[in-house]
Amino acid sequence: MRPPMIAWIIGLILVIALFTVGPVFFNSATPAILGMPPLYFWFVLVPLLNPIILGTVYLIDRREQPVTDEGEY
Amino acid sequence: MRGNIEMSSLDLIIAFVAAGVIAITLIGIRTGRAASRTLEGWMVNDRRMGPFLTWFLLGTEIYTAFTFLGLAGFAFASGGAAFYNVATNDVGYALGFFILPAIGLIGRRFGHVTQSDFIADRYQSPALGILIAACSAIIMIAYIDLNIEGLGAILNVLTAHRLNVVDAEIIGFLVLSMAVFFGGIRGNAWQSVIKDVLMFSCIAALFFVVPYHFFGGFGPMFGRMINEIPKNITLPGPTHKLGLLWLATTILLTGFGQWMWPQWFNVAYSARGSKTLKIQAVFMPFYQLVKVAVITIGFAAVLIFASQKVAGNEVVMLLAQQVFPVWFLALFALAAVLSAIVPAGPIIMMSCTLLAHNVYAKLLPATKPETVFGISRGLVFVVTFFALILAIVAHSLIALILLAAYNFIAQLVPSVLIGGLFWRRATKAGVFAGLAAGWALTIYFLLAGITQIDGMSSGFVALIVNGLVFFAVSLVTRPVPSEVLDPFMAAARDHRPAGASGSHGAMPAPAE
Repeated sequence: MRPPMIAWIIGLILVIALFTVGPVFFNSATPAILGMPPLYFWFVLVPLLNPIILGTVYLIDRREQPVTDEGEY
Repeated sequence: MRGNIEMSSLDLIIAFVAAGVIAITLIGIRTGRAASRTLEGWMVNDRRMGPFLTWFLLGTEIYTAFTFLGLAGFAFASGGAAFYNVATNDVGYALGFFILPAIGLIGRRFGHVTQSDFIADRYQSPALGILIAACSAIIMIAYIDLNIEGLGAILNVLTAHRLNVVDAEIIGFLVLSMAVFFGGIRGNAWQSVIKDVLMFSCIAALFFVVPYHFFGGFGPMFGRMINEIPKNITLPGPTHKLGLLWLATTILLTGFGQWMWPQWFNVAYSARGSKTLKIQAVFMPFYQLVKVAVITIGFAAVLIFASQKVAGNEVVMLLAQQVFPVWFLALFALAAVLSAIVPAGPIIMMSCTLLAHNVYAKLLPATKPETVFGISRGLVFVVTFFALILAIVAHSLIALILLAAYNFIAQLVPSVLIGGLFWRRATKAGVFAGLAAGWALTIYFLLAGITQIDGMSSGFVALIVNGLVFFAVSLVTRPVPSEVLDPFMAAARDHRPAGASGSHGAMPAPAE
């Protein structure tokens, strides 16, 4: 299996785990984290982590198979 | 607190919304007409859409009346379970990072314009393509229905039941039908730019105004949520039914099911290449914060409307009515109406194309391409009408319509995702058997009112059964020969520019 595929599979599993396993540890109303209820905090944090995870996958992918799209904006 | 606004102001708002809808319809027609002279131009903009338009096209198809109204209603009624929807699209984007470019490359190589083309080629089965096209077109009517429900809720609140909602819906969707008929996917993408900017500005305004208007800031609002409604901001929520297992299984079902919606699947075809699709996957998760904002409004509404009986679908509009001046409420109402009308465009187009291109033309192979294109456009009015009828006769919470529709569409995961891109041993018999099992179970669960089994989403259980049947039957039936399947699978790895890869090559003729 090529590195971009491995990176994508790891990234996908990580994203799924953050959303499905993470809430197990944050499913309570207290204590507030940064002023927010814990579950709320988690679902604010993870959408910010995802671009970092997928951005890393993208950079690995681009290094292996650089492509340029053709067409309009 | 402004509970109701004066009738003269209402008239102004309605006039502004009507003018706005007409203007955006004309913009869609003007920007899309030139590109909409063939089926490929109308449906996938000749595969030339770059990151800018793809971003907004995806945005409009994913962020609909459900996001604007339904999600707040679900948070209001069901509490923390609403967070499933933040995860759904993020899991979908992570999945789409690989599968959309692969599907796009295969489509470019073999001239696919719909999901059904992909399935028929992969399994060498026109019958399977026809079946999936027909069933998907029917399932998609529920998605159009969802947007009509949203439109009805907006008009209900906005007019204080003064305007005949059914008449307004008919007028709205006639306007929409005209825009789709002339504008095609490119026109819709430009409409989406306007709708998304307006919609997200309005949600942001409500997100910041509500805490300060009703609670004195975000800190006091969160404090009151923690102290007064702890069950509403966690799982299993105020209904005590939607627990962590439901959340996890619903995220898996809807996250993997996201790209099974034919209109979203088609983004793989309308984008100009793999890079465009991968960049979308990286940045689209930021859009999800909009959903968190909408959920916040839903939670706040629990405190604000604690002593009132309020319909979930209406909380956003009711709050907007209470906190905004008339001029901004007019903008807000226009954004809300567009969030129902614009996203319905690609869904209607896809449903029509599936029926014309993948059902009618496959049953009558002598049909000329221009006839198929004409039928596709003509069906716009028929499909919209059916969705309108469904909305009028079967009212429901928007979120429940969406979840029920997902239970059906996600049953395509084994055939499209697993067999389509990864498992060469998958067969058309396996797909037929798996889908029959999955859809039969989903229909049974729906009719019996079963939404969970041992805490898991019933749609997820049906998908597991579907997958098991798909694997078992595939293993004992004859797969597509290697000489036919090899070019199909190899196309997913061909990253050369479109011209170099020999676009629109023909698969060996499917043999039934």
